[in-house]
Amino acid sequence: MDDLKLRVKQMLIDRLKLEGMTPDQIEDKAPLFGEGLGLDSIDALELVLAVEQTFGVKIEDEASGLQAFKDVDSLTAFIAEHKPV
Amino acid sequence: MTQVTQHLPHRFPFLFVDRILKREPGVRVLAEKLVTLSEPYFSGHFEERPVVPGVLMLEMLAQAGGFLEADSLQGKAIFLAGVQDARFKAPAFPGDRLELEVRPGGGFGGLSKLQGEVRCEGRVLCTATLIVAQVKP
Repeated sequence: MDDLKLRVKQMLIDRLKLEGMTPDQIEDKAPLFGEGLGLDSIDALELVLAVEQTFGVKIEDEASGLQAFKDVDSLTAFIAEHKPV
Repeated sequence: MTQVTQHLPHRFPFLFVDRILKREPGVRVLAEKLVTLSEPYFSGHFEERPVVPGVLMLEMLAQAGGFLEADSLQGKAIFLAGVQDARFKAPAFPGDRLELEVRPGGGFGGLSKLQGEVRCEGRVLCTATLIVAQVKP
């Protein structure tokens, strides 16, 4: 697992209090919301703030959120693309 | 000066903000609530020893947080969607002049976080993070 993806998974576990889960238990293509991890809208807010605090990447609107929060792979790609150098 | 009842839809006995001391929309609100023995909940909480229920301090912060919005909240649908890390450090009693301070903590998708603190004479009574939802009509 590449380093950024691992950090993304660890952030999900820490900030969303997915207690008892380890990074390799989160599938790269599992939907974050609804089925899959089963996150809700409050988790989405938490995730927006966590991504900003952890990686310095702002998720400005719901459209970018929808794209970024599809699954771990999309979130990792979104962060890699928008990360300040 | 901000008229509390022009901004908030809450009314007696569930209006828990008396006065706005400082108001910088989007940045910070400092409000005041004077606790009096005539508050209806004191007759049962508790008969011999009146104490402000902790959950009402959260409600005070939520109401004060409404003043972070520049526009009036009349007619808007706003709900308390979550409470995180609430700490009740000391009780509030009749006669206390409570200072309610609320700052925004970010938002997304119609939800916003508020960081709140209730103080009395410089002492912190309660701190909490509230999540409020604004539902589009």
